[in-house]
Amino acid sequence: MKNIKFSIFILIVLLTGGLLVHKIVYSQEQTGQQKAAEQAAPSQQAEQPKTAQGEQPVTDCFESRMPVDGKSYTSVIRVENAVSQFGYPNVKCSKTTGGVLWWGDPYDGTAAMGDMPALADDDYTKGDYAKEEAVTKPRDAKLMYFNLDPNKNCALCHDGKVVPFPKDKNPRLLNAHQDVVANSLQLMHGRAAFWCLDCHNHASGKANALIDHKGNEISFNQPQKLCGKCHGEVYVDWRMGIHGKRIGSWVKGGKKRWWVCTECHNPHTVQVNRFQPIKPEPAPVLPKGMKNANHEQRGHGSSHTAAAGAHTTKESPAAQH
Amino acid sequence: MSEERRNTEGNAAVDKTEESSRRNFLKEMGTGTLLGAAALLTGSDDAEAKATWAEWFQKNWRLMTDEEKKEAIARLETRYSEEYGKKVAVDGSPAMKDVLFGYALNIQKCIGCRRCVHACVKENNQSRYNTEIQWIRVIRMEKGNFLPENMDKGYPKGEGDTAYKGKDYGIQVGGNAYGPAGVTLEGQHYYQPELVPEKEAFYFPMQCMQCEKPPCVKVCPVRTTYRDPDGIVVIDYNWCIGCRMCMAACPYWARRFNWGAPNLPKDEMNPQTHYLGNRPRMRGVVEKCTFCIQRSRKGRYTACVEVCPVGARKFGNLLDPESEVRKILEKKKVFRLKAELNTYPKFFYFID
Repeated sequence: MKNIKFSIFILIVLLTGGLLVHKIVYSQEQTGQQKAAEQAAPSQQAEQPKTAQGEQPVTDCFESRMPVDGKSYTSVIRVENAVSQFGYPNVKCSKTTGGVLWWGDPYDGTAAMGDMPALADDDYTKGDYAKEEAVTKPRDAKLMYFNLDPNKNCALCHDGKVVPFPKDKNPRLLNAHQDVVANSLQLMHGRAAFWCLDCHNHASGKANALIDHKGNEISFNQPQKLCGKCHGEVYVDWRMGIHGKRIGSWVKGGKKRWWVCTECHNPHTVQVNRFQPIKPEPAPVLPKGMKNANHEQRGHGSSHTAAAGAHTTKESPAAQH
Repeated sequence: MSEERRNTEGNAAVDKTEESSRRNFLKEMGTGTLLGAAALLTGSDDAEAKATWAEWFQKNWRLMTDEEKKEAIARLETRYSEEYGKKVAVDGSPAMKDVLFGYALNIQKCIGCRRCVHACVKENNQSRYNTEIQWIRVIRMEKGNFLPENMDKGYPKGEGDTAYKGKDYGIQVGGNAYGPAGVTLEGQHYYQPELVPEKEAFYFPMQCMQCEKPPCVKVCPVRTTYRDPDGIVVIDYNWCIGCRMCMAACPYWARRFNWGAPNLPKDEMNPQTHYLGNRPRMRGVVEKCTFCIQRSRKGRYTACVEVCPVGARKFGNLLDPESEVRKILEKKKVFRLKAELNTYPKFFYFID
């Protein structure tokens, strides 16, 4: 009996002691946690409202096609206060992907599209697109290779000799331009029915121009005239505004900036990827209390297993600190 | 107002007891309403109190005379310009003549990059942090397939004396609640792959459909949401009582509620606003897509149309036979989401 009482007493002492110790440790832990919490974001899913401090806005961003390596003609430089009337920058860009999200002035850096060939079915040309109402962003000045002076720059690869354009258009392995097409024998456009020299050719006497199947010179600013030669249906849709992108004014006869074929599609890889894959913008923040979105990965119905496809839903970026 | 008052009332250490905060609260309430009343009665020059008072007692936007509209807009412009530290313009322009807005989206083209979602937030002054309100949701959907091994899977079970007795009818029946044909996943909101588009998915963006017969307008008990002649369903935020009936009624999950005071940093605020559109909201009101009313009523494309990197989004005037949307309705295969509900959305989905 005594033993039992004694052991109970000992037990109580030990328990209270343990509790005390635990309490001290725990309170220390808690203060540590509180300090950490004060230093970190106020709540799990809230960003710091002060984004402007210490963060430089993205200055170089891309419009529709991602630049392949760093810069290409598809990127824009952000200019603060470009639209002084409202204090807008010329573009606002995404902090996560660098894509343009917003145009202050949709016609910034554009020029008249130039003549647009009428379609055979004149029903589709009634849309009043006078020349000054359809503008595009000229690309001429931003060409990487074709603005080079052949007399000076051929020397870089050809032992200082100017080499005439080859008459033979058959595919062969090239050592140059591997940034554009990795293997010139595997160029996949038109299912290998034609090759580089079918569109890029000096036959017209100008390096910085494209060429169509009849030898007509086509400006890099108007690739639709070349693409439309084969992709007639798409061209007709584009001409009507169903296909492709236009920004500016929706009003009939209003000024629109048209996006030409090569601003969305890369003709050298278009048969692998219709659009070059880009990084998506962040997902919406998960509802309070939801740890992750794994429930979206489960199939429904008893006969089904987990999702096809290897992608996983990560926690929303805002929740990761 | 309360902040300033508390700061100017001398820096006596305000001990944060419940008592004092309640006293403060009562005091603020008292001074606010008293000042308002005083302003109204005596023409006092407390502009803020006047504005608050006037805003409380202004009419529904549709019932205002032009004079009252001008006053309301002037009030708001002053208030917002002070609050956000830049010149804010509030537009009150009515619907254009001979315009009915329509929207078309090519779901074959959409790559699910969510740039439209964030362009919309940049344009329309939604709450930014904790939580960010987004008007567009993009749902990732698995591509269906007709694999031979799935051909005899699916419900319902055959009955009677048929070849299917006791067996599944299989995929020919199409989908059902247990397993839609060939598809195993529900739509996903929180997909986050490295790159989009993914080969095995298509993407389905949704936003307000600007219905011809909007259920939200039908249920609004105070008639603060209504359909304008150009087809845009709008909300007078000042008249909204926050009952969220419209959110329950909307079959397209298009409406969002401000549970807290919207959190909009000054530098991210878009100063070109419209009374019925993207002017900064207050706590406890519902908001939704308005086809960028502040842009479209001035003839500009909406923000989501302009940002779409693949040109999947098209916007135009349905009364103009030359407009993109009309051409799409003419030429392409078009459907409307939940067409069986007879809401007659003016947001069309199409494929090439």
